[in-house]
Amino acid sequence: MDIEPTLPIPISYIAGSYFLFSIDAVTYLRREHHICGVLSGTLPQIPQQNVFLGLPLKLMPEEARLLVEKGVACIVDEVKVQKDGMRSLMEEDRKKYLRELESQGQHAMRLQNDRKEQQREKALKKIEEKKAKAKARKSEPLPAADGPSEGSVVDLFANDQGPDQTSRRSSTAAPYGTVMGVTPATSYPPLPYESSAEQRLPLPDVPSSYPLFAHLHSEGYFLSPGLRFGCQYLAYPGDPLRFHSHFLGVSAEWDEEFDLMKIVAGGRLGTGVKKGFLIGGAEKTEDGAGDPSSVRTFSIEWGGM
Amino acid sequence: MADTDEAAIHMPSQDSGMHIDTDLSDETQDFRMLNSISFLTDGSQQTLPKRGEKDFEPNPTLFQADVLSASRQAMHNALSYPRLHHPKTQVIGVFAPNGPAPPRSAQKLDTITEESEPSKPAGTGMGIHADACVYVSNPKGQYFKSIGQADRWNRVWLLPEEALYLLERGSLDIRWPCSEVGCADGDETEDSGIPMSLQAAHAAFMGRSGLTSERFSVYTGLRRLGYTIVRAPGWHDEEESADSSESEPMSLEKPQSASLVGIFNQLLQWLYRPSPTTALGPVAGLGIHRSYDNIYRSLSIIPWYDPTTSSSPPPRATAPYRVVFHIYKPSTAFKKSAPPAPDFRLAVVNARTHTTFPTSSQLGALLESTPLDPPVGEKMSRQLYMRLRHGYRNVILAVVDEGVVSYLRIADSAFGKENIYKEKNTRGNKGPWRPRPKGR
Repeated sequence: MDIEPTLPIPISYIAGSYFLFSIDAVTYLRREHHICGVLSGTLPQIPQQNVFLGLPLKLMPEEARLLVEKGVACIVDEVKVQKDGMRSLMEEDRKKYLRELESQGQHAMRLQNDRKEQQREKALKKIEEKKAKAKARKSEPLPAADGPSEGSVVDLFANDQGPDQTSRRSSTAAPYGTVMGVTPATSYPPLPYESSAEQRLPLPDVPSSYPLFAHLHSEGYFLSPGLRFGCQYLAYPGDPLRFHSHFLGVSAEWDEEFDLMKIVAGGRLGTGVKKGFLIGGAEKTEDGAGDPSSVRTFSIEWGGM
Repeated sequence: MADTDEAAIHMPSQDSGMHIDTDLSDETQDFRMLNSISFLTDGSQQTLPKRGEKDFEPNPTLFQADVLSASRQAMHNALSYPRLHHPKTQVIGVFAPNGPAPPRSAQKLDTITEESEPSKPAGTGMGIHADACVYVSNPKGQYFKSIGQADRWNRVWLLPEEALYLLERGSLDIRWPCSEVGCADGDETEDSGIPMSLQAAHAAFMGRSGLTSERFSVYTGLRRLGYTIVRAPGWHDEEESADSSESEPMSLEKPQSASLVGIFNQLLQWLYRPSPTTALGPVAGLGIHRSYDNIYRSLSIIPWYDPTTSSSPPPRATAPYRVVFHIYKPSTAFKKSAPPAPDFRLAVVNARTHTTFPTSSQLGALLESTPLDPPVGEKMSRQLYMRLRHGYRNVILAVVDEGVVSYLRIADSAFGKENIYKEKNTRGNKGPWRPRPKGR
């Protein structure tokens, strides 16, 4: 069940954002590296809602950078890869790819037909049962209730059989062929999984809050964008699938002066939603750069005395 | 009890009686809840599951580990669901990287019959948006009621966000054109038979003609909720927003118009108006005071901003504080050929690059670019608070932080126009100081 994708995982850089398109990469990074990202696509099975979303997974620049620094992933210029890759596609590969898709489509069609068959059988069985019941009822000497009950039974038949018959007709006729069209999630195949050196991009640019992000992540927290609670990062003690977040994280520079009201506002908001307001930053070293290993964090709660 | 965390945030607002429903999409949902939906039974059960219970913090129990791995497995299953197109309902689009162009057969015909126009510039002369980049030859399905533009060859052209949205939801099969996959014999825009993957579609359409990932998040988010959403004239930075032409100041009736009573009132006011300077003596003056209204009026010495008077020429709204989308509620009848006035106007802001609240001049310019929408109607005329909340102009700011969207409604309220001291007198009948509703 636990699939391990080949490392390094390519992270697609498209128009200033970082995306993952492979479900295996998404589950692997979530399980092993506590990187959740934000699902931003529409789920094709239930497309008219915003509660459950699907691929692609959008990564924060901080997440992408962390993965690259760990050597788990690399940043790939996806636009270039697609353009160059598709242009230089060999005739042979193209045919092979189309054959693969066709067999996938056939397989999917078979599965769906099987399922339809099962459903039809179930429906037929139901009708048989109803028929038997109706017969049993008819044989009972109940002349007063006979008329209307029979009528309703007939109606039921009409409703049940209507769509059933049409589906049977269409499946037997099948003028459209027996292959489902498939839109794959990823582009490999036909493109190669590994990227060449000139397709790779340097480390992502990250905001100055990166040391705090890296620190919290190294402590085992799962982090997500904090916009909904007016902070920079929401820190979850475990996988957000199963746990509520504990902290609203805001980063500050070591000698940065900020308004006391920021603490009051953050502290009140955090306490109001049963989370701690967390402020932290990297201690300045001699060379002036913030060192992730020297991050200090403070948690603020509203006393409510 | 599972949502105590989010319930707590609404606690203070209980007294106001205005409950905001907990938004399920605010939190990561347990994908196990999806298991209860059997997807393949053709939309018979399309209700969403209830949210699951979450634990406070991880503990080393096997039970918790099992639940978590079940959740992850459910998520994996849900996300690896394929996008399939049944041949009966398959809608095929073809990517046209160089923008709209007539079909090859028509091109040939053109050159044979009339050689005066051998090559039309892309997009022009076809009545198609120049940014459109996917065409669909067999537009079937309800989506095309509000999406796309048809050309005279019965093909529907899609903008990048429309194409990407339809592909994402599994309603459209987009093909690479022959020119992009190295077919030797292929024409620019002919179907090569190779479907575009989700990944390829993102790479091809995202970043194309002003479509940022923030704008796309907003677009799909609202589409999924059932809104109709189309590009506004302010989409491209260089284009002047055409909306401003709509926003001509409406001829609002001036307070105390030229009725006889009005003239009499003005005369009275003039008589009892105290000296304008307050340096010497009290503000209300020493004259004879016949009504409280006059005293209150003379006390209002602080100048206030009237949103109904627009500055001319209106300041230019600058990116990102420009209206980029027009939104229509699902209940609004929408016609592609003649879109009605939008229900909402929306600007998209990236929270990562714009970390501060917009300045007054940015907001002012943004609001000026929207037409005047005064608080009229039966409810509005009764309730002062509703009027203030509705404002005279309004716009929606969609703030996007790495895929997470928050919507803020900004309204231009006119506190100066609401004279509280008159509220008592004018209750029941419409006050003369209020703008008369204009039939719009």
